[in-house]
Amino acid sequence: MGAKLAPRLDEHELIRAVQHGDQDAFEALVRSYDQTVLGLAMNLLRSPEDARDVYQEAFLRVYKNIHSFRFDCSFHTWLYRIVTNLCFDYLRKRKIRKEEPAVVETGDGPLDRTYAVEEERPAGDPERRYQNHQLSQRIGRALEDLTPRERMVFELRHYQGMRLRTIGEILGTSEEAAKNCLFRATQKMRAVLGEFV
Amino acid sequence: MTCRDALDRLPLYLYGELPPQEEEDLEAHLHACASCQGEYAAYRQISQALDRVRAEPEPFSASQCRRELMARIRSEHAAGRPGWREWLRRSLQPLAKPAGALAMLAAGFVAGYWTPEWARNGDGPAGEPVLAAIRSVRTDDAGGVSISLDETRRRTVRGDLRDRRIAQLLMAAVRDQADPGLRVESIDILRRQPESAEIRQALLWALEHDPNPGVRLKAIEGLKPMAGDAEVRKTLMRALQHDNNAGVRVLAIDLLVQHRDDQVAAVLQGLVGREDNQYVRMRCKNALEEMSASVGAF
Repeated sequence: MGAKLAPRLDEHELIRAVQHGDQDAFEALVRSYDQTVLGLAMNLLRSPEDARDVYQEAFLRVYKNIHSFRFDCSFHTWLYRIVTNLCFDYLRKRKIRKEEPAVVETGDGPLDRTYAVEEERPAGDPERRYQNHQLSQRIGRALEDLTPRERMVFELRHYQGMRLRTIGEILGTSEEAAKNCLFRATQKMRAVLGEFV
Repeated sequence: MTCRDALDRLPLYLYGELPPQEEEDLEAHLHACASCQGEYAAYRQISQALDRVRAEPEPFSASQCRRELMARIRSEHAAGRPGWREWLRRSLQPLAKPAGALAMLAAGFVAGYWTPEWARNGDGPAGEPVLAAIRSVRTDDAGGVSISLDETRRRTVRGDLRDRRIAQLLMAAVRDQADPGLRVESIDILRRQPESAEIRQALLWALEHDPNPGVRLKAIEGLKPMAGDAEVRKTLMRALQHDNNAGVRVLAIDLLVQHRDDQVAAVLQGLVGREDNQYVRMRCKNALEEMSASVGAF
């Protein structure tokens, strides 16, 4: 029990210190979340540049507004709310422009999503290579076809492994509404990708 | 449970989000129904395919972002905090008013005299002068005060890229270390005029020296139409060998292979053996194959 509470107390103290203007405490707080925030933005936006912009903007908003943080929800939820709101704006704008970056940053460096599945193929099998290529393109299109909210719920559940209750808290909606979004998103994926599996 | 009920529950079952009783009923149905089992297997395959296009930032990206963030916060903090000069300015304000007015008049005259013609023709209204720093304060026997100060003034200049003053200001913005967003936007505009030697130099400078990988990526995109130029190719080869961002290195390969070049083949052959990034290594090999060059270095 004590071991579980210790990190939370540390974070509480860090936040208090930041609220009193301690920049080193802020840097420590950023350090404990920065990989998560960047990963979430990368996954949602699939553009390294946009992800970095969201990272900067999100933590700046945290820095400027942390004095108003009253501990009535977890810092994690508050931070994710800021990040997802920023990503929403990007997704909505992109939906209007109908753009989707093809190059994504992976653990092994930038990767054209078109070839993401193809990389895993056994070499020298043209038919399988063609099918994988088609599948990757379909995945890209299927993700684009989700509404920003469906995309958000899907990414938070599928890639971030969050429970729907938490997703509802972050997005300011009910667990039931998040569940409906996940249901619709998964069915859309099934409809678009079904013939390839 | 009917097959219809089961199919409706599969998406949430896949993510463990069904209530316990429904989960139990569905599992009992799946145990007995081959058709629904097949459908569940299809959902799982789709889920696995989606996992394979998961986007992950490189480990160093987060620390780089953090450094940029903290630098920005510290600079904003420093700019916003009243330092000793500000304290001095506030303390002397009642005394300095007449002297300040005179100084501003003088500064305005000097600025007007020394500012180039193109910069004076801004279309936008000039903003109020802003005190940047007080350099010295002196008093004389008669009780007068002399204050030496620097001031800045914000103004808007309009025109298109063919306008030399606009191009020059954009090229200055490319080197403004305070704001990477400003640098990206400036490069994005400058790249529309690739035939200008000055603009090419600004893009090459950004590719080689800008600390922000987003700016370097934008610069390299701007260099695409000049990929055949010898100086551009030399800079691209240096970027390919030394830039710490894999995205920049990949774009450098893309541009370099547009023109056959033995020197490029040699650089790529060398990189195949020492490049850490798997994807960049693969692109090097592909590029060598496209050039019909050997993958190994001799």
